[in-house]
Amino acid sequence: MRVLVVEDEPSISAQLNEALSAAGYAVDVADNGVDAHHLAIDGNQPFDAVVLDLGLPQMDGLTVLKKWRAAGRTLPVLILTARDNWHEKVAGIDAGADDYLTKPFHMEELLARLRALIRRAGGHASAELVCGDVVLDTRHSRVTVGGQALTLTSHEYRVLDYLMHHPGQLVSRSDLIEHIYAQDFDRDSNTVEVFIARLRKKLPAGVIETVRGLGYRLVAP
Amino acid sequence: MTGFGQEHPSSALRGSLRLRLLIGTLAWIAVSIIVAGWALDGLFRNHIARQFHAELNTHLDQLAAHLAVDQTGQVSLSAAQSDPRFNKPYSGRYWQVDRLGVSTGESVGVLRSRSLWDDVLRVPPDTLTDGQIHWHRIPGPGPGKTMLGLVERVVTLADVADPAGQAYRLVVAADEHQMAESIEHFNQMLWLALGLLGGGLTLSAVIQVRTALAPLRRLHGALADVRNGGTPRLEGHFPLEVQPLVEEFNSVLAQNAEVVARARTQAGNLAHALKTPLSVIANAANAQQGDMAKQVSEQVEVARKQIDYHLSRSRLAASVRVPGTRTPVSPVLDGLIRVMRRIYAERNLELVLATHPEPPVFRGEEQDLQEMLGNLLDNACKWATRRIEIALSEVGDELLITLDDDGCGLSAAQQQRVLIRGERVDEQLPGSGLGLAISNDLAHLYGGRVELADSPLGGLRVTLVLPAAATTP
Repeated sequence: MRVLVVEDEPSISAQLNEALSAAGYAVDVADNGVDAHHLAIDGNQPFDAVVLDLGLPQMDGLTVLKKWRAAGRTLPVLILTARDNWHEKVAGIDAGADDYLTKPFHMEELLARLRALIRRAGGHASAELVCGDVVLDTRHSRVTVGGQALTLTSHEYRVLDYLMHHPGQLVSRSDLIEHIYAQDFDRDSNTVEVFIARLRKKLPAGVIETVRGLGYRLVAP
Repeated sequence: MTGFGQEHPSSALRGSLRLRLLIGTLAWIAVSIIVAGWALDGLFRNHIARQFHAELNTHLDQLAAHLAVDQTGQVSLSAAQSDPRFNKPYSGRYWQVDRLGVSTGESVGVLRSRSLWDDVLRVPPDTLTDGQIHWHRIPGPGPGKTMLGLVERVVTLADVADPAGQAYRLVVAADEHQMAESIEHFNQMLWLALGLLGGGLTLSAVIQVRTALAPLRRLHGALADVRNGGTPRLEGHFPLEVQPLVEEFNSVLAQNAEVVARARTQAGNLAHALKTPLSVIANAANAQQGDMAKQVSEQVEVARKQIDYHLSRSRLAASVRVPGTRTPVSPVLDGLIRVMRRIYAERNLELVLATHPEPPVFRGEEQDLQEMLGNLLDNACKWATRRIEIALSEVGDELLITLDDDGCGLSAAQQQRVLIRGERVDEQLPGSGLGLAISNDLAHLYGGRVELADSPLGGLRVTLVLPAAATTP
């Protein structure tokens, strides 16, 4: 899952980057409204969610959000604001935000809200994603097969997480690359195949199908 | 010391411009009328007295002219007195001739009018030279004994042989009551006329004061309109003397609104300035292990609560009511319901807003209403199991917004505690625990309140009572 963090305060931005990466997200960072707008619109980067601070230089968060929504971008947006009043919250939600969090916030709460947003965007009602015997608990980044815990590396988890959020859908290799790596990460498309191969060994047979020349599909055998 | 509520004898006079003007004008009218009445009465009395004396003098002259003494010394009148009242007994008009003899002594009433009947007029003794006229007042004859005005003169007849009877005193008298009668009649007419004049002047004074003070009454109405939230500033044209006051007041209103807006912005800026570094510290500490990190985390939480508390206070201080603001409730409520649906999407809450035939209007700031309702609605959503019902109603000039939830509710003791700032009933759910108290404080600032009760849905019923604005501005 790939998340865009738009925050002008370097310390908070770094903390968010660190915490989100640790939680298994690929994180891109923008420190002003104009860059954020370009990343999501012109760059056409496929973010799965955005953490958007409202008080931004050059173009404020609310304007950025309105422009995204006007351009038809439906990605879930979590607003961060230091101004704890309902006027601002109503304005944020009406501009198209999906949730908000006021500063100072607990990182755990931000992660929980973000998980919920991504899950809801994919049409999942529960915090646990299920595909046959495979259960992915988004709250604890834990995967079990038939009740047995599975040990996965960070990148393996990211691949499985993305596939579990899109069960039964054809996911291309480039899709996977886009969603498990941040923009400035040194991408190697071969490594995706390595991760898939390792996952197949750990998961029950037939869970990850290969659609030749197109990509992968997660199915319940 | 004179302060509010102290009764002072002249406080009513000082308090009312109309009373002051009226009392001043009426006092002048009363004084003028009394002085005019007194002066006219005096003038008329004078005039009547002179007329009375002139008439008596005429009769005296007539008497002197007709007086005749024959050879035997018998006194007679050559012609009768012209006034018939001299012939009617005790009519109030009398004449009399006394002989003044040096040797024979005085002989009173040798000749007298029939009206005197058997009486004679007792003239006080005095000495007159020939032709001199004297005035006296004596009690009259007859049953009434009313006072008579009397005029006398002494006549010496040089052609009379009898030396004993050569001097005569001629007396003419008239009842003063006759004079008083016409004065009384005149006075009646005079005071009636003056009374009518006074009434007319009073009426015109009242009308004048009312007309002159009408713009002030209009100003009062315009101010009430501003207070009720009908208009944001004083509207209408006022006289030259009042217009500067109106303009000053309007500029004060505008300044007031500006100060409130600025204070709000500054409170928000302060929040931003403090909370961002606090976020950094909190997250840095949370990522670490050990006593130090724990202590920092705890202290950051304390600081956060303090900031929230003082920010809410400064927001309250900035929420000085700006008169003339009115906020329709429904759009604010709709906006907040959209927020709640979005942020509590996970829980599939049913938020039901009962339709209201006439959209109510709150007499106050939109942001304050948002703050009050937002906190209350957020609280209801936190505690509700599935359903929240919102209803609007108007009772008199009060606006009632009722929020019912189907949560676990609060005990009577908890309901009492929860409206006090800083008290939290449950520490498990996130939030600063100030929401209900802040809403309550804000509502009080507007002369409203927050009431808690058990809801028919099973949870808590929160009623926000606020002043309603007049529905038609």
